[in-house]
Amino acid sequence: MNIVLIGMNHKTAPLEIRERLPLSSRNNVHPLLEMIKIPQIKEAFYLSTCNRVEALASAVDAKAVVERLKEFIFPHGDLTSEEMARCLYVYFDHEAVRHLFRVASSIDSLVMGEPQILGQVKEAYRQAAELRTTGVILNRVVHHAFRVAKRVRTETEIASNAVSVSFAAVELAKKIFGALKGKTVLLIGAGEMSELAARHLIKYGVDRILIANRTYTRALEMARDFHAGVIEFDRLGEGLRDADIVISSTGAPGYVINAEMVAAALHRRKSRLLFLIDIAVPRDIDPAAGNIDNVYLYNIDNLQEIVDENLNNRRREAEKAEAIIEEEALKYREWFGTLKVVPTIVSLREKVEGIITGELGRSLSWMRNLSPEQRKNVEILASSILNKVLHDPIAALKEESQNGGALPYIAALRRLFRLDDG
Amino acid sequence: MDILFYKVALIIYLLSTVGYITSLLVRRVLAARVATWFLFTAFTIHSVSLVLCSIKTGHSPVIGFHETLSFFAWVMTATYLALQLKTKTRVLGAFVSPVVFLLVIVASIRLGGDVSLPTVLQGSLVPPHVILSVTGEALFVLASCAGMMYLIQENFIKNKKVKSFSRLLPSLRDLDKINHLCLLWGFPLLTMGILVGAIWARTAWGSHWQWDPKQVWTLLAWTSYAILLHQRLAIGWKGHKAAFLSIGVFSFLLVSFIIASMFFTTVHSFI
Repeated sequence: MNIVLIGMNHKTAPLEIRERLPLSSRNNVHPLLEMIKIPQIKEAFYLSTCNRVEALASAVDAKAVVERLKEFIFPHGDLTSEEMARCLYVYFDHEAVRHLFRVASSIDSLVMGEPQILGQVKEAYRQAAELRTTGVILNRVVHHAFRVAKRVRTETEIASNAVSVSFAAVELAKKIFGALKGKTVLLIGAGEMSELAARHLIKYGVDRILIANRTYTRALEMARDFHAGVIEFDRLGEGLRDADIVISSTGAPGYVINAEMVAAALHRRKSRLLFLIDIAVPRDIDPAAGNIDNVYLYNIDNLQEIVDENLNNRRREAEKAEAIIEEEALKYREWFGTLKVVPTIVSLREKVEGIITGELGRSLSWMRNLSPEQRKNVEILASSILNKVLHDPIAALKEESQNGGALPYIAALRRLFRLDDG
Repeated sequence: MDILFYKVALIIYLLSTVGYITSLLVRRVLAARVATWFLFTAFTIHSVSLVLCSIKTGHSPVIGFHETLSFFAWVMTATYLALQLKTKTRVLGAFVSPVVFLLVIVASIRLGGDVSLPTVLQGSLVPPHVILSVTGEALFVLASCAGMMYLIQENFIKNKKVKSFSRLLPSLRDLDKINHLCLLWGFPLLTMGILVGAIWARTAWGSHWQWDPKQVWTLLAWTSYAILLHQRLAIGWKGHKAAFLSIGVFSFLLVSFIIASMFFTTVHSFI
């Protein structure tokens, strides 16, 4: 196929090396433009995220350009050749295609199944398309990668179920309350994780936030960020009455909320379900509160267990995804196999002969009036016209193939004459 | 013709049951989605069969015991499908469809048997009595199904076992809502059914009430559900307790109904 992929990711290269690479341009020259300048490279695609750098190219001779590609990457990161040898991977043809499919499907990501990578691949492709560095081969590979990613997403559970503590909390809230619209969240204490969870909850429909903090001014500050209401710390009971979801993360040494407070609040809220999330260490909420009817209490370990379980599940689903990717990579190889001069000419001729036979068959009714000799002449006329029409394109194709540049013509021909349909 | 439709509906009810149970086993929503379509198809065909049957016999298809069971199944399916539209709780079908299928099977035992109606059943108040009572009771069965699922799902959440199985089940709030709605609608329907029955009893037997075992059982059921509804509406019981009580009441009534029909003779038993 003469496709080559060279790159490094979070598995092969430590952060110190990775962070040196994504200098997207030196002297304001886009890496794609530098790649495409390498003489033998016909098409180029370049993806750079915080976890990976991938340079994909289609070349006249893929093996020959590997060293040149390394030289292209080399000055970007000031890598020593020893570091290069350790961190870089090089894939050719089938393996290169499969690798790109794995990347786009998020199988190769640090957090398997994370959704951002597909957007990053799309953005990288947009740049390549803008700079016109991709052509028949890579366009097809990248588009195919998008399709594979979609298939993996819908056919496996790789991207379902929370793999972060704050998302696990959101999923649990949905298990309890269904839609979160109209629900109220009470944040007790400030903390990055509780803020993150609150933001996720807002995204999923929670529309009222209450904040309680031992330092009242800090509570007011946070309230401004969230457009939230503030509750005084010694009146938490009232917050428990109004809120449906409570996220507690104070630095208090003892319990901030005890079981009696919860029981009393539940009585006042007429037994409406209450979801308590305790992400503080040491814990803020008395575990006994979890035994009360219609109260669901999760601490940080409970949430982490869910996350671990979900991560295991993703790893199992990854096997299914690998099978899909392999299948699709084979499909690509099959398509690539059709991109040859002789088979293309053969199927073009077949198509044309099919048309001639079909049209003659349709004219049978009036041709019956002709003598056998006249009929023969009509048939000869029809096929000689079509052969004349085909002669120049086929001759040009053979010419190009001798110069080694037939691929785009073959692809165009197959597309224009619909040779791949049926 | 109605019997043919009935048999086809029976087979599709079975398919739907299998579909729902498969969806629980393989833990995929897709199977439940297919099963819901089967259930809808079975329901449509069942409806046609009921219409054809009443055209053939000239009375509404709710008079005989077996007919009533078939109607019971029909109401349960209709209500479930309506709820499904509102709350997207597909997996509840795994609890509803087996019950429906069993009812339809039992009802089919006397399929197409020629029934001549005793005079006591030939009143214009009999169909409304049966339709109202059966609809009310079918809603109570659904309430218990939802209650049962509530307890299962709650158990998962309380014990921190929110794995793939729990993911299939609807949210607690949706299940509580279904339980609530079924009680709220089932109770007035049953009440009206009993009242209509009492009015008819006066015409047929000369008195509104006879302390017949089946009547006593109905009174018991009515009272239990009145209490349950009171706890929900006035005291504000929600979630766990309400679900638990609705299952408790239902199983108690089921057992006492079986005992009543095994050991006592009743004037309220017909064909």
